[in-house]
Amino acid sequence: MIGSLDSQFTIIRSARIVARAGMCVLAISAAAGCHHRVTLQELPADQIETTLFLIGDAGEPDPRQVGAPLDSLTAQASVAPERTIIVFLGDNVYPGGIPAEGAAEWADARRRLEAQVKAIPPGARGIFVPGNHDWGNEGPFGLYSIRLQEQLISSLAQGRNVRLLPTNGCPGPVSVDVGRLRLVALDTQWWLHSFIVRDSTSRCSSPTIAAVTAEVRREVRPPGEGRVVFVAGHHPLMTGGLHGGYCGVTGPLRRFGGLSQDILSSANKTMRDSLRSAFTGQPPLAYVAGHDHTLQVLRGGRNVNYVLVSGAGSASKTECSVKLRESYYNTQHRSGFMRVDIMKGKGVLLRVFRYPAPRSGALAYTRWLEPR
Amino acid sequence: MIAISLMRFVRVPISALSPSLMLAAMIGASCIANAQNVGPLPVFPEEATPIGALPPMALPMPASRDQNYWGLRLQAGQRQERSGPENLLAFAGGIDYQLRGGSIFGLTGGYQRRQNCESTGSDCGGHALFGLRGRFNVVTGGPTIASIVGDESATSTLGTEIGFGYAPRVSPGVNACTLDVGLPYSIAMLQSVRVVPFITPGAVWDINCSSAQASSGRSFLLGFGIGLQQLGMRGLDVNIGAQRIFRRSTGLQLGISVSWVRLP
Repeated sequence: MIGSLDSQFTIIRSARIVARAGMCVLAISAAAGCHHRVTLQELPADQIETTLFLIGDAGEPDPRQVGAPLDSLTAQASVAPERTIIVFLGDNVYPGGIPAEGAAEWADARRRLEAQVKAIPPGARGIFVPGNHDWGNEGPFGLYSIRLQEQLISSLAQGRNVRLLPTNGCPGPVSVDVGRLRLVALDTQWWLHSFIVRDSTSRCSSPTIAAVTAEVRREVRPPGEGRVVFVAGHHPLMTGGLHGGYCGVTGPLRRFGGLSQDILSSANKTMRDSLRSAFTGQPPLAYVAGHDHTLQVLRGGRNVNYVLVSGAGSASKTECSVKLRESYYNTQHRSGFMRVDIMKGKGVLLRVFRYPAPRSGALAYTRWLEPR
Repeated sequence: MIAISLMRFVRVPISALSPSLMLAAMIGASCIANAQNVGPLPVFPEEATPIGALPPMALPMPASRDQNYWGLRLQAGQRQERSGPENLLAFAGGIDYQLRGGSIFGLTGGYQRRQNCESTGSDCGGHALFGLRGRFNVVTGGPTIASIVGDESATSTLGTEIGFGYAPRVSPGVNACTLDVGLPYSIAMLQSVRVVPFITPGAVWDINCSSAQASSGRSFLLGFGIGLQQLGMRGLDVNIGAQRIFRRSTGLQLGISVSWVRLP
């Protein structure tokens, strides 16, 4: 009995020593790592050249109300819509994209898309990037579903500058130039789709993977000084979420699943390798994506400066994500969006907003994005 | 020993036992063993190889699936309270290879020597130690742990590990060889510096590799501690750990590990 007490006392004592030593090191490092969050009020509005909102996987809006992320995004975009671009990063219509008109699901699919188009204030530009669910949930109807979505967005936009890019089920890239910003839109599901990706009506400028890669290489090298290049596609180049082989059963076992939507699959790796090779020598400032229903800011590595995952547009679809060694910021089970302000002259400021907002406010993270 | 013997005869699957019950059983077994300690104190194989000579560490921080990562590791551990004045002090260095941001494979080389051995009249010489280790993250999760600790970035990870250790000439004519398996579990939280409390229960087998001594079978062990990942640099981690081998006279080990991972 005495031996037992001795042993337990030794364990408790050593636990205290370990905890105390840990707290000391933590206090030192926390003091060194303090940073100031830039609020909306602190940024002079007249110094902002272009504002980019990034929201993904917003295709499951609540049918009874406007969700907090879309509502807040609209409010912020309405301040200066003429210099605002809102990018919807795919999976705009859950679960199966836009069905043929007359199908039972059509009205609700339209409702899901309409909620997002309505969130774009008059005067702002809206860009929808296709996701795997928009391609008929990766099914054989995918190519036609994505074309129907393009038509429906045009119809709902009623003449405003709101478009699905790339168009007509093509892979892209399609570049949008606004001031210093070049936004290169890609349809990454085109790379991963197992069914028909072109037909007699396709007029894609780059019909093969090699041609798309070559064109991406050209597009990420815009002429002019001080250009800020963002590449937008649905599938991330890196993620600590479910599709990255984390959360639940992790990589070693999930690898055998062979799902093309997952980072660990060979098809997905081929796509990422092609894109990274296209970025070599002229890394874009950021590659932005959705797909995983989380908010992540990651260090991009050799071929891209930052990877932003902003796929938390639907409050009902938020998921787990793991903080990677490359992660600057990571949150899980929160909805939200990202805002990028490109300042006149120099400077690109990223802010992450997440909901439900804690007492400290919805602004969760800020970072000046600088090429490394 | 009694507790382990009881577990053998009770017809309940091990998986059905709660972790706390397992822990209690292991602690109890160790305490009874301690009470029976008599005679001179050798360095047991479990203490001489990296699994017992060096402190436990938290599971590796996950990273991008597109990269493989090389890392360096320095460790120091002291095993004390070994039923006598002698302590065992070990230093080691290692290299680690993290495969596609997940599983990690490491090589370790180091040296262990006795402390306070003059008064006991025993041989104060030391010995080298070498080890191979694989650690695999198996299951990660977030929401429950995140709500418990109140940090939305908190995740928990259950992993598994296997290691082989070798220490030549631990005592005259005796080499030590061990094989160990473990089920490490860690909780990672906070954004800038990742704070990672961990626990590393496991078992180690003395696989006899010298003719002078018979194999002494299996021992359970329990390590725990706290890791601080990304400490000032994205690739720098510090772990402070303690470990108990549930075998008589093996005492308690305390130690520190510093590791650095090269990011592309």
